Amino acid sequence: MLEAVHLTKRYASIPAVQDLSFSLRPGQILGCLGPNGSGKSTTVKMLTGLLAPSRGLVQFNGRSIQDDVTGYRKQLGYVPEEAHLYPFLTGWEYLELVGTLRGMPRAEVESKVDSLLQLFSLHPARHLGMGQYSKGMRQRILLIAAILHNPDIFIFDEPLSGLDVTSALIFKNMVHVLGQQGKLVFYCSHVLEVVEKICTDVLILRKGLVIAQDSVANIGKILGQSLENTFLHLVDDVNTMTVAQDIVQVMQSA
Amino acid sequence: MSLLAAKSDRNRWDVYRERPFWRLVELFVARVFRGGGDSDAPGLDLGMGLILTLLAIPGGFVSLFLLDKYGTFLQWLRGGTFPDPLLVSLPDEYFFIVLSMTVSGAVAVWRWDAIFPNRRDYMNLVHLPISTQTIFLANLTAVLFLAVLVAVDVNAASCILFPTVVAATQSQFVFFIKFAAVHALAVLLASLFSFLLVFSLLGLSMALLPPLAFKKASSYIRGVALVYLIALLSTSFAVPNLLRGVRGAPPIWAFLLPSSWFVAMCQSFRGRATPALITLGHLTFPAVIAVSVVALCAYAIGYQRHFLRIAELSEAMSAGAPSHLSTLYRYLDRLVLHTPFQRAGFRFVWKTLWRSEAHRLLLTGTGGLGMVLASQAMMNAVEATKSARQAALSTEALSVPFILSFLIIIGLRAVFELPAELPSNWIFRLMLDPDHQECESLARIVILLAVFPWVLLGVFPLYLRITGLEVALMHTLLVLGWSLLLTNALLIRFRKLPFTCTRPIFQQHSIVVLISIGFGFLLYAASLPEFESYALVHPGRFAAMFPAAFIMWYVPRHLAKSAIAEEKRLIFEDVSATSFELIQLSE
Repeated sequence: MLEAVHLTKRYASIPAVQDLSFSLRPGQILGCLGPNGSGKSTTVKMLTGLLAPSRGLVQFNGRSIQDDVTGYRKQLGYVPEEAHLYPFLTGWEYLELVGTLRGMPRAEVESKVDSLLQLFSLHPARHLGMGQYSKGMRQRILLIAAILHNPDIFIFDEPLSGLDVTSALIFKNMVHVLGQQGKLVFYCSHVLEVVEKICTDVLILRKGLVIAQDSVANIGKILGQSLENTFLHLVDDVNTMTVAQDIVQVMQSA
Repeated sequence: MSLLAAKSDRNRWDVYRERPFWRLVELFVARVFRGGGDSDAPGLDLGMGLILTLLAIPGGFVSLFLLDKYGTFLQWLRGGTFPDPLLVSLPDEYFFIVLSMTVSGAVAVWRWDAIFPNRRDYMNLVHLPISTQTIFLANLTAVLFLAVLVAVDVNAASCILFPTVVAATQSQFVFFIKFAAVHALAVLLASLFSFLLVFSLLGLSMALLPPLAFKKASSYIRGVALVYLIALLSTSFAVPNLLRGVRGAPPIWAFLLPSSWFVAMCQSFRGRATPALITLGHLTFPAVIAVSVVALCAYAIGYQRHFLRIAELSEAMSAGAPSHLSTLYRYLDRLVLHTPFQRAGFRFVWKTLWRSEAHRLLLTGTGGLGMVLASQAMMNAVEATKSARQAALSTEALSVPFILSFLIIIGLRAVFELPAELPSNWIFRLMLDPDHQECESLARIVILLAVFPWVLLGVFPLYLRITGLEVALMHTLLVLGWSLLLTNALLIRFRKLPFTCTRPIFQQHSIVVLISIGFGFLLYAASLPEFESYALVHPGRFAAMFPAAFIMWYVPRHLAKSAIAEEKRLIFEDVSATSFELIQLSE
């Protein structure tokens, strides 16, 4: 089980995340929602051990991840928000490098990379430099790199960014299957429909604070509306229609 | 048996190479050679082989040119004598030392962004089950490997050819061996010293400056390092003779000039050192050790302060302050930027020049070269004459604004060809009318605004004070006029918005362009001031300049007028013309 215990992160005394606590059980797919600046990325970075919390801790199976961060990362599959890949490496070379750095046997790396590249429709482009890849292709490379070593914990930060419809559908189904197999999935996204469809639970952040945390079904039930309306109700005090009309008005002004 | 043993060794090596540490070292080495900055834009990927070949060429060529000096047959034909080669080789030895220092330092400056692990490495590597210490050690190993590789590569040719050429006059093979060993030691140490010096500069800047300040100051620090290296190379013309003339204790400048320590060490080992050179030679090994220690410490602190905090920094980075140039832009809009294209284009070009690392660096390089040449000319002018007026009217002093303006104009013209973030040029492709572009006038405005202000506000008042109104006016007008003519000549059929067009790296006529620039420099920065100095005595002589000025004015104008519509269209892809074209007669 992965637990966030009273996580707080401050940047020069400005709180980015405040007193965040939740637990993620095997088989659970926890969606994390929030507008820009709500603390989603900071939370993800603390969960992956990239960022040390100012207060609180992240525990995996009852132990702080900071006690053995390397051991924790062996069980972690992470897809970052931005696809910062090495443009001079080919897709194959990159995945082979990641597999080797994860300590996987060479034969296993080669057979898995080959199969996954085929399944993600990247096999024909495997020997092209990633500088020539489209955003969707880079995102697929990141997805393969995250699942290559069969981790127990998955942390996805906007994983569908740039993916085409087929790849996005495959990915959503894959997440569902991972949940069924007892993996832990933390899923960060702006796309409410996706979170509503594939996550079992949801965590809504606003200005670094948790403002709602429950199962997707319960949150809808409590407020009697869809996740999108619930989200807007909880997070934004903005009348989106009024803002949209104002935008068009400015656009048309001389 | 031996085959089996070799195979087993190779297998063992393959297994060893598969360890995460060595994979990381390989990755960092590849990153340095094949572009590894934070930007996703494809860098100048020349490949490791080509880069190493290019780095090795200068040493080889210079060694071969020295055959003329050391060849016994050629000396005999000229009726020359054969002086002590260990003494006469001092200037050449010094040149090889500064060459190896300049090239190795320039490589470190060029790959500055890729030497240190950056945000991309952080995002790709830190979440993997490898410790940050492993990443640190792997990157350090890669940097040290590169330092040694560059040192060996830059000096490989000269380590064989230069001793061969010098030893051609000697009958003993031992002479060659001794000479080669001392030369190799000096140039390799000089290379390592220079590389590690730049590395220390990078590490110290990272260790001392806050991350945001470092990000802003980085390219300026690189620029200063580049100017220093160019200045170092230019010392090869004067320093060897000055060192030879030193009697007694070495002067302070020699202590401050690392290249003089290395050449002094050579002469000490060869038994041809004066007491001053022996003193200087003693500095070499402590200096190399000191710079290595500083580099290591600064790198470790920089790694701790920057790399390990990248996640934190990227979240905490505040938005930059708004630009304070809006008032300047408003004045320029009123005075020189008359059309919307010129206004928007000027802001785009100016901001790219200031903010794009590659463009700023190239411009700093040419500007730095200009500063070095100009200061040498200035020094010669002051040394050769007694009064300020005499100095100001000397050919050397008159050449200063010509040297600077030539290199600024050429530098800007070259920089315009260097693309910046090509995938972003769609906005211009979409919006600009290719048949009604004003790229030439925009480029002219940018270039002239980089030259005219300092000529009018610096050169004119200075000459007004020293030489009076008449000379100041003539000198200023001459510099401005020829700057304009040179700019016009360089912008013949220019039809690109700067930085938005692709360009083949090595074009068929690149060599011709380089030779033309060299020839142009001689005409513009040497012949023109010489003529000016001659004409200032009797201003009527300036009339002799009119035909040349008329040709420089008329030819670009005529070529612009005679261009067909297709040659005037705005382009975003510069495709080299093929040597021949197949004419489809059947169509």
